[in-house]
Amino acid sequence: MRPSVRPDAAVKLAGKAAYGMDLDAPGMLWGALVTAPVARGRLRSLDLEPAHDLPGVVAIGPDDLPSLLPPSRGEPDRAIFPTEEIAYCRQPLAAVAAPTWAGARRAAAAVRVVVDAEPALVDLESLFPEWPGPDARRSPNVLAYVHAKHGDVEGAFRTADRVVEETYRTAGVHQVALEPHACLASVEDGVWRVRTSTQSPFGVREDVASLLGIPESSLVVEGTWVGGGFGGKGASLVEPYALLLARASGRPVRLALSYREEFELGRTTLPAVIRFSTAVKEGRLAARRVRLLLDGGSSLPGRDFATGYAINFLLGPYRTPAFEVEGYGIRTNKPPFGPHRAPFAPQCAFALESHLDEVARAIEVDPWAFRAAHVWRDGDETPLGQRVGPFGLRAALDAAGELARRWRAEIGPGEGVGIALGFWSTNTGAGGEVRLELAPTELRVVQGEREIGSGSVLAGLAAVAARATGLPPERISIDYGDTSRAPFDSGVYGSRTVGALGRAIVEATASVRRTLAERLRATEPVHLGVDGGEIVAITGTVRRPIRELLRPEERESGLVATGQHYARTGSIDESRVVEGAFYPFTDFTGSAHVAQVAVDRDTGSVTVTRYAAFQDVGVVIDRETARAQVEGAIAMGLGTALTEEAIWSEEGRLENPGLLDYRIPTLGEVPVPEVTLIEGYPGAGPFGAKGLGEPPIIPVPATIAVAVREATGAHVTELPLSAERIVRALKLL
Amino acid sequence: MSRPIELRLNGRPATIPDVPDDERLLDTLRWRLDLKGTKEGCRTGGCGACTVLVDGRSILACLALTREVEGTAVTTIEGSASDPDLARVRAAFEKVGALQCGYCTPGFVMTLGGLLKEIGRSAPIDQFLRGLDGNLCRCTGYASIVRAVAEMREPGP
Ligand code: FES
Ligand code: FES
Repeated sequence: MRPSVRPDAAVKLAGKAAYGMDLDAPGMLWGALVTAPVARGRLRSLDLEPAHDLPGVVAIGPDDLPSLLPPSRGEPDRAIFPTEEIAYCRQPLAAVAAPTWAGARRAAAAVRVVVDAEPALVDLESLFPEWPGPDARRSPNVLAYVHAKHGDVEGAFRTADRVVEETYRTAGVHQVALEPHACLASVEDGVWRVRTSTQSPFGVREDVASLLGIPESSLVVEGTWVGGGFGGKGASLVEPYALLLARASGRPVRLALSYREEFELGRTTLPAVIRFSTAVKEGRLAARRVRLLLDGGSSLPGRDFATGYAINFLLGPYRTPAFEVEGYGIRTNKPPFGPHRAPFAPQCAFALESHLDEVARAIEVDPWAFRAAHVWRDGDETPLGQRVGPFGLRAALDAAGELARRWRAEIGPGEGVGIALGFWSTNTGAGGEVRLELAPTELRVVQGEREIGSGSVLAGLAAVAARATGLPPERISIDYGDTSRAPFDSGVYGSRTVGALGRAIVEATASVRRTLAERLRATEPVHLGVDGGEIVAITGTVRRPIRELLRPEERESGLVATGQHYARTGSIDESRVVEGAFYPFTDFTGSAHVAQVAVDRDTGSVTVTRYAAFQDVGVVIDRETARAQVEGAIAMGLGTALTEEAIWSEEGRLENPGLLDYRIPTLGEVPVPEVTLIEGYPGAGPFGAKGLGEPPIIPVPATIAVAVREATGAHVTELPLSAERIVRALKLL
Repeated sequence: MSRPIELRLNGRPATIPDVPDDERLLDTLRWRLDLKGTKEGCRTGGCGACTVLVDGRSILACLALTREVEGTAVTTIEGSASDPDLARVRAAFEKVGALQCGYCTPGFVMTLGGLLKEIGRSAPIDQFLRGLDGNLCRCTGYASIVRAVAEMREPGP
């Protein structure tokens, strides 16, 4: 057994883990960004001279790029520095580096920026005061448009017993990783090198190489320990600026965002408006119309993907004979939309689950029974026509229902118990590879990801390797290499790490066994074991130390085998797609949550007294790590539910760019939840595991909203459920 | 203006030359003394990641000026192994696995170490938990941290 449930506990508790923020180098310069003072406008002039005049300062702006960046490359809104149009407040316009941090800040302030401000587009709804009409798609402010339809929607609405229409609004939320984005860059002998706190070293390499117009082979990205990612550290952010400054100065350059900048120019979930129209016939869903306006900020990475994927979660895991969905991604003067743990799915689940509650109430059916009657079962069809694979949601719902009945029997006045559901899919992404090195006394798993905190790399992959090889965990080490040495992997995101790299480990293990079988001329399967401190290959009655099976050239490397996994997904019925892109799921992961809340009717303040999660996991790979993911996601979801809201002024300035005004949950506000892991419904990962980083956050805001309504009758249709919104909803009763 | 500052650092006397008057303790520790176990998060007193002990009491190093701690005993996570209270907190966190990314962890250890010194090992658990309201953790949901606090306490009367 390893000494702690966390393999990285000792190094982190000793203060010896070096994060991106902790990097330095001899002769290092400190970088800082010069950013746009307004959210929209024309850049009239940018004068770097006053910064250049300061001692030891290097400054770069748009004029320093053309040699690197052919204008044909990339979209204008992905440009390193804008040359004309300012797209959002705090957009980087130039960058400086100086021998001290204070010097860099002074230099950044010395750069003279002159802009002609123009009115910013901030409020998503101001562009189409009614709702986007048929011509809206041609608007330059529409970044994405998706439309799908199936069944006799019009007929179902015509003959419905009841139609329920509602509009929901959700707020922008930040990831709030405790460590800001930070990196250390250098350029030497034509090699661009950056050490950075990232969820995806290979993603950063691809991203930065294309932004700078350099070949990927000349750029080496090395991950550091990561002080929280949650989606915010997937793509590059500070790296290209640090590299350009390093090239211009000939010195290593550290560039870290201030925590304020982290809020102001970090990329995350932005606001949305969701409209439902639901037709019910004889107590069942007959048809549904769902419309989505999603704020894409100044550019919506993934465009149709982001919008089309979100729509899945507005339809939810429910049988729907007929539906029509339409989604718009809208350009506003905010930083580009970016991923935030299960991007936008908690917001979708909040709207959908609250709406289903409303529908059930409208037809006087118990909301739990209404969900149970509609929730997908194995073999059902998703709205877009994909077969639903093994899905533990019904089991989770049953268990949640039983617990909720127990809790309801125990609560007092002013308290309520809510249940809500969520679903997700393991995104095995663009794939990944591992290299196994079997040495006489240990098995090394060489791969490209650093541990970002979820445990998926150091605990998850080690557990997969132990299970695949049969070796005890203390014989397995997880090794990491920079992008010049490690096999490719697309990143720690999308709940994919254990799924994709785990499958690659299983494949590589099979290859190790085959090689050993050849060398042993085995007629029976080969297993691995440990004898007196050495790893041995076992077949039938034969036990041979690995040491004796290695070839001379394998003395250093051990026996090497590689494995890879690239996503294999199901398919959707394309005839249901009218326009845009919709995607199939890799697998089906369900969650059912139960919350007990107490609400103060005068102040609107909500106390979460008890919380429970029933999580479909496929199979448990590492129990403590799995539980920890669920616990952490619940707390993060409580922030989305109750307090977290990015607020922009009419001019497009973020008004709460700090932890004192943007409040995330503290210890006293989060109950220790009861976590139940549900096995038996295998997913896309090794041994049938399902990804777990994201799913448990999805039902949280919905569960709280339903519980608040149970406690008070207040039907809040906006996130977060701030005290003010609850009081306002109570007044409407 | 800058001048040398004398203090005890992780149990040893230390003189830090040329500390500017407006330098924050956090920056002195991290960039002058290379003690980067003390984490820099918000720099505005909002996250607790930078917590260190000054004469046994926890303070936020991002809000303290280095010259304000002149003559005191400063303890950081790097000195935690030789302090019995801090070592006790670390052992509990390690056993329970009360961390994920670990960026908040040194701050939690220092705050809890300060609390152990202040209220003793068998104080009611709620006193410890209330004392952690200035330490944010985005990863764990605090559940494992609560388990670690229970582990770290001595069962009281
Ligand atoms: S860095 Fe000191 S409280 Fe956040
Ligand atoms: S472990 Fe990541 S912030 Fe606490």
